[in-house]
Amino acid sequence: MTGRYLLFLLCGQLFGARLEGALEILPWRSARKVPLAYTYVEGLIDYRGILYPLFSLAQRLGLKPQGPIGFAAQGAPVQADLQSIILLEGKKAPFGITVDSIVKMIQADEVAPPPVKDPSAGDGFIRGLLYDDNKEIVLLDFERLFFHGG
Amino acid sequence: MAESTRFVILSLEGDKYAIPLSSVVEITALQGLERDRNLTEIFEGKTEFRGKRLPVVNIKKLLRVEGLPGRILLVLKGAKGMFGLLVDAVAEILETDKKAVPFPSGVMNPTMAYFRGILRHGDALVLLLNADGLL
Repeated sequence: MTGRYLLFLLCGQLFGARLEGALEILPWRSARKVPLAYTYVEGLIDYRGILYPLFSLAQRLGLKPQGPIGFAAQGAPVQADLQSIILLEGKKAPFGITVDSIVKMIQADEVAPPPVKDPSAGDGFIRGLLYDDNKEIVLLDFERLFFHGG
Repeated sequence: MAESTRFVILSLEGDKYAIPLSSVVEITALQGLERDRNLTEIFEGKTEFRGKRLPVVNIKKLLRVEGLPGRILLVLKGAKGMFGLLVDAVAEILETDKKAVPFPSGVMNPTMAYFRGILRHGDALVLLLNADGLL
């Protein structure tokens, strides 16, 4: 399926988001924290009259920041205020995710995900793959990641 | 023009929350707290109010907000009767004709009854508490 995709980096890995509608990219800003929210919820942001839940994609996927080569990073998370926020139109509702950096926007053909579900590949959260400059880009299923509970 | 509603704006560890003024019986400094081992850990104890002993909720424990219990007592009337709520401070009374916005989906378990929605107050987002759902 040909479509527009935004590529971004998170913890050293390349991911893509299919653009279904409007897209906003914002510099990091603090979100209104919500007590008792799911652990990967950074909070709420009010942008142009719309309330967006802001999700930490790294936390949802259980990704750790990259450390020096050959070492696992310990402790220090990616510096939050260097991250970017992507606001996306979801099928159910608009939402925001925090990513390390925006790479580019591309027009590409989506490839179906591998037929065998790999338990280590994020519990079926992969909706497809893209190839750009000989790099494999993982497309995530944000609905399953963030709106599973209704 | 829509009918306006008044809310008490309170703070917990610097974050603002609201509760409908219609649920608030009194706002006072906490004076005298009697421990009661029969109460669950969200309660700090009981306090005397107008001749009755009211259970006093530490809302920080309820919402899992870190910090010491507040020293300002809000006496509230909820669906299960009157109770006290300890908060850090009461900032102001907000009068607005805007309705609370529901929480976007995906933020918390939808069965969570402690909140009724979100109010916009200036540039801030204020979480609206549900007095009937706190106990």
